[in-house]
Amino acid sequence: MAARGHVQDPNDRRLRPIYDYLDNGNNKMAIQQADKLLKKHKDLHCAKVLKAIGLQRTGKQDEAFSLAQEVATLEPTDDNSLQALTILYREMHRPELVTKLYEAAVKKVPLSEEYHSHLFMAYARVGEYKKMQQAGMALYKTVPKNPYYFWSVMSLVMQAISAQDEKLAQTMFLPLAERMVEKMVKEEKIEAEAEVQLYFMILERLGKCVEALDMVRGPLGEKLTSELQSRENKCMMMYQRLQLWPECNALSYKLLLKNPDDWQFYLSYFDSLFHLMDKSWSPPNEEEHCVEGPVQTTVAEAVKFVVDRMEEEDKKESRPLRGPYMACLELIHRLRQRGCPDEQELGDPLELMLQFFGKFGDKPCCITDLKIYLHLLPPEQHTQFKNRLGELVPLGEVGEDGFGFPGDTKALQRHLCVCQLSRVLGLQRVLDTEGKLCLITELKAHYHYGLQFGKSCLKTELQFSDPYCLMVAHVYIDLWTETGDENMLWQCLGVLEEGLSFSPSNAQFKLLLLLLFCRLGAFQPVVDLYSSLDAKHVQHDTIGYLLTRYAGSLGQFAAASQSYNFSLRFFHSNQKDTSEYIIQAYKYGAFEKIPEFIAFRTRLNQSLHFAQVRTERMLLDLYTEADITSSLEESVKAMGLCPEEDDIPWDNMRDNRDLTVLFSWDPKDRELTEEHRRLSLEEESVWLKVRSLTLRLLASLALLGHAPSSRNSDKTNENGVSAKSSTLQTLLSQLDLTLQTAAQITEKQTQYPFLGPPSSRLATALSSGSCHCQASALQLSLTLQELETTGLDDSSELQTQICNSFKSLIVQLQELLSRCKGEVLEMKDSRLMTQPSLLETLVFFVETVWV
Amino acid sequence: MTTLRAFTCDDLFKFNNINLDPLTETYGIPFYLQYLAHWPEYFIVSEAPGGELMGYIMGKAEGSVAREEWHGHVTALSVAPEFRRLGLAAKLMEMLEEISERKGGFFVDLFVRVSNQVAVNMYKQLGYSVYRTVIEYYSASNGEPDEDAYDMRKALSRDTERKSIIPIPHPVRPEDIE
Repeated sequence: MAARGHVQDPNDRRLRPIYDYLDNGNNKMAIQQADKLLKKHKDLHCAKVLKAIGLQRTGKQDEAFSLAQEVATLEPTDDNSLQALTILYREMHRPELVTKLYEAAVKKVPLSEEYHSHLFMAYARVGEYKKMQQAGMALYKTVPKNPYYFWSVMSLVMQAISAQDEKLAQTMFLPLAERMVEKMVKEEKIEAEAEVQLYFMILERLGKCVEALDMVRGPLGEKLTSELQSRENKCMMMYQRLQLWPECNALSYKLLLKNPDDWQFYLSYFDSLFHLMDKSWSPPNEEEHCVEGPVQTTVAEAVKFVVDRMEEEDKKESRPLRGPYMACLELIHRLRQRGCPDEQELGDPLELMLQFFGKFGDKPCCITDLKIYLHLLPPEQHTQFKNRLGELVPLGEVGEDGFGFPGDTKALQRHLCVCQLSRVLGLQRVLDTEGKLCLITELKAHYHYGLQFGKSCLKTELQFSDPYCLMVAHVYIDLWTETGDENMLWQCLGVLEEGLSFSPSNAQFKLLLLLLFCRLGAFQPVVDLYSSLDAKHVQHDTIGYLLTRYAGSLGQFAAASQSYNFSLRFFHSNQKDTSEYIIQAYKYGAFEKIPEFIAFRTRLNQSLHFAQVRTERMLLDLYTEADITSSLEESVKAMGLCPEEDDIPWDNMRDNRDLTVLFSWDPKDRELTEEHRRLSLEEESVWLKVRSLTLRLLASLALLGHAPSSRNSDKTNENGVSAKSSTLQTLLSQLDLTLQTAAQITEKQTQYPFLGPPSSRLATALSSGSCHCQASALQLSLTLQELETTGLDDSSELQTQICNSFKSLIVQLQELLSRCKGEVLEMKDSRLMTQPSLLETLVFFVETVWV
Repeated sequence: MTTLRAFTCDDLFKFNNINLDPLTETYGIPFYLQYLAHWPEYFIVSEAPGGELMGYIMGKAEGSVAREEWHGHVTALSVAPEFRRLGLAAKLMEMLEEISERKGGFFVDLFVRVSNQVAVNMYKQLGYSVYRTVIEYYSASNGEPDEDAYDMRKALSRDTERKSIIPIPHPVRPEDIE
């Protein structure tokens, strides 16, 4: 915990037992021991701080804080106290106090390298870039080591990145940073690779690409050795930004000769080629095209280049690379886009794809590769393509059931790929019910036959024939959605469960089962399925929605609460975790990573899922835990809920959900599009807004209902109340507006792909009338509040209004209730199940305010 | 074919198809950030033309140079099921070895579950051999016994006599490995 190496110091020896108690989690003993020690040695400040740590950890925050401040005001300069206070402040989530601590320490001990560097890191933790810049410089002046100088430079870059005013960044911070580095370059003091990286970063941000290029190509660039191809990658980046297409082309060409499988360079090769063609570029002299070597400027050259690469692969003894063959399809695609007739020189896409299948059809990724270029085939060729592919699959003799089976896993993979391709091409979709059922029989037969190849598979491995099983499930889902026949869904569940019994680690089976059970409203198996996926940490943000979307809405409050908690724990640790590694990045000179880490932290903080679980968690707590009004008010207070505050980043919401986590071989027009993503985010945001406003309204009601004792006598309190009811009024009108937006959104009736994002709860909440019911209940309580202020005598109008509102609310509630009635198994609308309890709370609420 | 590039934080939001594998651990954010902050060059991801992540390798350099123990270490290597059988893991290993060569490492090492035959055989094919067995290195959760690990090594060119890979006959305990 602290520096404990030097046992010779008597204070260290005295403090040691306290450290040990704290380390072992024995906080009470630590406090006792500290007290004992303090009786004898009043001035042993560190003991006080250690006691404070014990107090903090036993929940006595206030006591801990005042004790710590006693020591802090003395401005300690001993290591033990400083380190203990740092730990304490960190646990209190008050990192800004650490800066104060070391500011005082460096003032008293201005030559201490250690304290200066602690001060720098303390500023880094709270993101005080300007002060970091100064602290870095002060440190360098005390101890002239290069890293300290560059900490200061980096802090200037961070000021530029965080500056609201881009002009300030470009005219002040970055130029200053540049000059600081230039000074070191001139004095030939550049030592480390990290320093060159930082120089590059600065030049790049300044848009000084020419200078950046010169630097990377020059002697300083020789230091860039850690990362593979570091110089080449940086040059390429600059060529692209400067639109130096000849250099870009020549470098891509060179890199592809070295590794004909590196896809990014095919893209830059083609990009640059077409730019050069558009500009009718020709080399200034025949000998040297550009610094990077020969440049290719014609389609003929590109065709030859790609064909040569394929021939190279054809000749190879070892396994061929896919790159050149994919590049050939990519080139056809691009030529076609440009309306260039030369594509024929590369051959017929159909034949090329068959050739690709011939070479790579036994690889599981063959489908993923070919999928990208299927649009090169005209629709009338689709069936022909499938049949020709079929000819390339070696199957055994047709048996009694009418099917021939593959003899080994390679043949199986080929057959599978043909099935996948025909699904992607839409050839499965056009089958009628009869046809689909036949297809299912065939796929099932292949599935079962294929299991024999995986008999020796460990339970952590997948079965070779698993994808057949998944496809059977997909076809069943097609049938279910087309015909509404629920029997199909039961069959589908059965086949997936069977699949899981042979392949217990198959995540795709689990994900699909999970989705189907949720859609059915059968939540029981979902928790186990989800936990067997072992989703952790960042996965809470990316796939947690699969669970949290349904747990609450299906009335599984305990499970919901638990899943919200898992997610929340992850998000809350993020802030602390990331600052620690921002500091590490300074220490190791990974300057490029610093803005990346900060962006990452922001991305998590602005996560849609984070805002959702935060809101739902509090709503759920209010609904389930607050039985009597007093505890409701307490709950609101304990949550730190402030109705006036809105902490959701509505304008910068990040949708971190992984919406393609479920495999799909659906045709392109059924795939998830960017538009789907946008609509889903929009819908979820509006629903979140409804929920968050409801929460804030409930909170403000709870706080309002509870100033009754002194309401009429105390003037200030009355003002407080009226301020709160105006908050209430504002929130209510916001809710009203949001509900209007919500109605517009649900009118669109957006359908997402089945395997894409689930629809939000918005539509059912609106159509069930629950949203409006809640809104009127909340409105009613506001009117009641008015009545209370006006007094009973002068408010007959208001009273009639209230009376009517009550009546209509009761009607609404009854309607809602009647919709909730029915057998669960018959009920299609799972959302309704949650309504009664929700409304009870509200009714209850209205009553409390009435009193 | 694949695009090989540095792993970035944003990739953490996209690696589910790789990490939903039962033998691939999803670590807490600090673990990834630590590697990105300290050894960014050792964290490489490969991306398919369609944008899917295919696999990644995460490693570090550690050990004392004086004791000839300075080496590259493979912390995690995983390839998504649909991108297996392409030699991608071998390619990523080759890159990690190249980086370790440049840093002047004596060898590259890694830990693998004794039961993970597929991986053990692959590493053998890539020139690795079992240096020692580490007892109960992998702690199991659901009541099953803890599992042993092989510590596998491959000598780099700096270790001309290949001293670093001479096997240790007796198994060691996790607390005894430095």
